Amino acid sequence: MNKKTLLAALALLSLATAACGRPFDVKTAPGFIELDDQAPSYDYRAMTPEGVVFAVRAVDVDDKGDIAFWARAITLRFRQSNGYALVDTKDIESRDKTPGKELDFGHDESGKPFTYRVRLYRAQSRLFIAEAGGTKEQMERYKDTVDWMLSSVRVKCGSIVAPVLASHTCNKW
Amino acid sequence: MKSVAAPASYPGGMTGGVAPAPASTPAFAQYSAETESVASADAPEGDGRVADNSPPPAPPRPSSPPVVPAPTTNGAPPKAPPTATDAPHVVSMLIYTATLNLAVFQVTEQMDKVEGIGHSIGGYLAVRNDQQITIRVPRERFDEALGQIEKLGDVLHRSVTAEDVTDQFMDLEVRLKNARAVRDQLQALLAKAGVKDALEIEKELGRVTESIEQMEGRLKLLRDKIAFSTITVTFQPVETQTVRDTTLPFPWLQDLGLSSLLNVH
Repeated sequence: MNKKTLLAALALLSLATAACGRPFDVKTAPGFIELDDQAPSYDYRAMTPEGVVFAVRAVDVDDKGDIAFWARAITLRFRQSNGYALVDTKDIESRDKTPGKELDFGHDESGKPFTYRVRLYRAQSRLFIAEAGGTKEQMERYKDTVDWMLSSVRVKCGSIVAPVLASHTCNKW
Repeated sequence: MKSVAAPASYPGGMTGGVAPAPASTPAFAQYSAETESVASADAPEGDGRVADNSPPPAPPRPSSPPVVPAPTTNGAPPKAPPTATDAPHVVSMLIYTATLNLAVFQVTEQMDKVEGIGHSIGGYLAVRNDQQITIRVPRERFDEALGQIEKLGDVLHRSVTAEDVTDQFMDLEVRLKNARAVRDQLQALLAKAGVKDALEIEKELGRVTESIEQMEGRLKLLRDKIAFSTITVTFQPVETQTVRDTTLPFPWLQDLGLSSLLNVH
């Protein structure tokens, strides 16, 4: 490998690393636009003109609590304190095969039914939370798109660089 | 008045405001047996076709409260029920009440369904507002109604109580019987009294009659409460002490939810 090739590779790597500064990857589906400057609450947020919102956040939990713990904590909070209806729950996998949990909630806001889907993953000492919500009507309308975006989430670094970059600063995406 | 835990399955077959007699509830079975004996005592001998060693016929359902005679309007003494004096009932008379907290999702639709369940099983709507609905259902279908309602949504909290009002019921019955006896005596005295005494007797008669009417009203209310169970469904969060007092120390957890998600900037 000559010097030019090495520089080019390094440039590409640094570009990829600094590309978005998020420790996960998510694709924005047609029909959604990504919103800027959503920190600190969200690392990524996108929405449709009708108000369906999709968001991902990575929370540093220092390896504390497994998926079952966080799923239970979130469920308790929503059901008992906020009165959300737990409509469904199931085991899922991220695009990179990280096991996770999906929770579907329903809740009336100002007398209007809304649905709220949460996916949880544990990776990189973090808890990754992908959320999608909107009115029940619009969520049903965008169901396939939302599912596609949820399925696009990756929370681990690629296999080649994983040994090196699988850390808090893993910004491969 | 005391509350007791509800049985696993709720007895059915109640008619006339008194506990039914399912096989799983001995108290009710006892009542049923007594009712049968009452019915036998009052019943005509029949044609004698039933052999002495044949099994007894199935106990008839009580069609009216067994110990409370119908009030008379003409002042004549009511016919005393056969068991009211000599064999007071040892009956469990229970008022069933259920409270359900359902998650706040599609509230209007679910309230309509709760109301529909009430109507479909012979009950009626008692109260309905934005967050709460109360229906009253025939006691024998209480369990069925609860089961149907629980399937409507996410049940956050469920409470069922059975209030035993046997003592209260029996006490009222005895007092009513005594009051009626006093009234009968006063009426008999009135028939024989002179003008001066008649005024005093009529005054006392009025007081006793008023007391009888009050007791009859209370008995009627009790019978209604026993005959129709109350189910209240509330659509609101349950503020449990566990969550309120032991909130997990993760601010982001409090920040989750639709309000944060949809509040874009």
